[in-house]
Amino acid sequence: MADKGKKKRYALVLDSKKCMNCKACVVACKAENGVPVGKFRNWIDEEKRGAYPKLLMTFDPGQCMHCENPSCVRVCPTGASYQRPDGIVLINYSDCIGCRYCMIACPYNARYFREDLGVVDKCTFCVQRVDRGQLPACVETCPSKVRVFGDLDDANGELQALLTTRRYLVKKPETGNGPQLYYLL
Amino acid sequence: MKTIEWGILIVNYLFLGGLSAGIFFVSALATYLQEDGQPAYPRIAKYGAMMAPWPVALGSFLLIFDLGNWYRFYKLFLHFRWESPMSIGSWLLLVFTGITFAAFYAWLPEEARHRLFAWLPKRLAFLKRFDLDLSAWRRPLAMLGFPFSIGVGIYTGVLLGAVQSRPFWNTNLVAQMFLFSALSTGTAALILALSINRKSLDFKQVRFLYTLDICFITLEFFIVLPYLIHGELSVRAVQEALKLILGGPYTVAFWLFFMGMGLLLPLFIELWEMKPVLLAKATVHHNKVLAAGAAFLVLTGGYLLRYIFVYAGQISSFR
Repeated sequence: MADKGKKKRYALVLDSKKCMNCKACVVACKAENGVPVGKFRNWIDEEKRGAYPKLLMTFDPGQCMHCENPSCVRVCPTGASYQRPDGIVLINYSDCIGCRYCMIACPYNARYFREDLGVVDKCTFCVQRVDRGQLPACVETCPSKVRVFGDLDDANGELQALLTTRRYLVKKPETGNGPQLYYLL
Repeated sequence: MKTIEWGILIVNYLFLGGLSAGIFFVSALATYLQEDGQPAYPRIAKYGAMMAPWPVALGSFLLIFDLGNWYRFYKLFLHFRWESPMSIGSWLLLVFTGITFAAFYAWLPEEARHRLFAWLPKRLAFLKRFDLDLSAWRRPLAMLGFPFSIGVGIYTGVLLGAVQSRPFWNTNLVAQMFLFSALSTGTAALILALSINRKSLDFKQVRFLYTLDICFITLEFFIVLPYLIHGELSVRAVQEALKLILGGPYTVAFWLFFMGMGLLLPLFIELWEMKPVLLAKATVHHNKVLAAGAAFLVLTGGYLLRYIFVYAGQISSFR
């Protein structure tokens, strides 16, 4: 990632049409972040419609939207859920009391409860990699290049190029959360 | 579909917290209202003060038990986050519980107080200096407790209502609905306590409690009704959420058991019992079985309201 000190706003652009449901992103995430069996930080929704020969099958990757106004952060009673200046929404595990209010407040059901630790967990945009200048594991591994991760404030970046030249939507904008995952149309 | 994160423990807590708030409010009102310098309804005031601390104490215990890391609950009190209803609520709950126990102590009969201190082991004998008569504090404590009892009663609704991702909750009527339900269940608990007591009830106290409960139930009813009407005239997500009680899995629980048996039937019984007062200058024929029955129905209705809202709310979501 670009030079330090400059203001950043991380976001993810997804081109769902390229997705073939191989779930490499899910596996890479689990391996990178040690996500427990049965829990997921990211997932792929599948929709089938119609009958042969008129049919449609779509795949829709989902995960934490790292919202502009995250409702999970707002409701957290201890401040364990927080947003970094670069937009990444994280959880301070030692401050999490496990009340699960954030899970109820998240419109995207992006959070899961870790019974073994008694805390809530979710996608971190692989902050441990991003801070080293690497890409999140799901982005790096995606074989069909569905995912583009980058800095919204970088005017010359690939993210800005895509969001300027392509049409896109965000999910459930009516909740006012300001999700930062952009789905290309 | 969304998984259920808040289960029966939270339902119990919301009910018990509201119950204490209601009991304390009515008891404080009975303490505050005076006749010739004495509390106008001394038995209600005393019973309420004796009962109020226990439900909220049990509820708070359940709340802590429900946490993923129960021993970290103290972290709630290392932060104050005004944007989080849970943070505000924890502080309200702490202060309110303190006030209810103080009022309990202030209303404890002298002999009982002495007996309590007599149990102290010798090493803690220095605590006996706290064996004080606080009966002069009953009224100040009642007045101090008013805003906190209202606060605890309404916050249980705000906790749910302030979540914009759950359309079943996200309306500004849920808070008031829970508040009036809390006050009503508190009144009902006092009616129940007085009617299962062997002493006979005097007309004044019955009239006071029935009048209060009729007011609270009516207010609650006229919050539930607009909740349904507003919801039906709202955006699609809210309409879909309301289907949970209008044809969905919670329809029978809501209409038959909450609306019918938990709200309108006890209202009818209480109005029936008050009929002599309303129609002619006769005394209430106060029937203890009917009073206990109505109170029991109000309590079950209040519990069901929490149950339906906690579960249905978590299922509801935006598409």
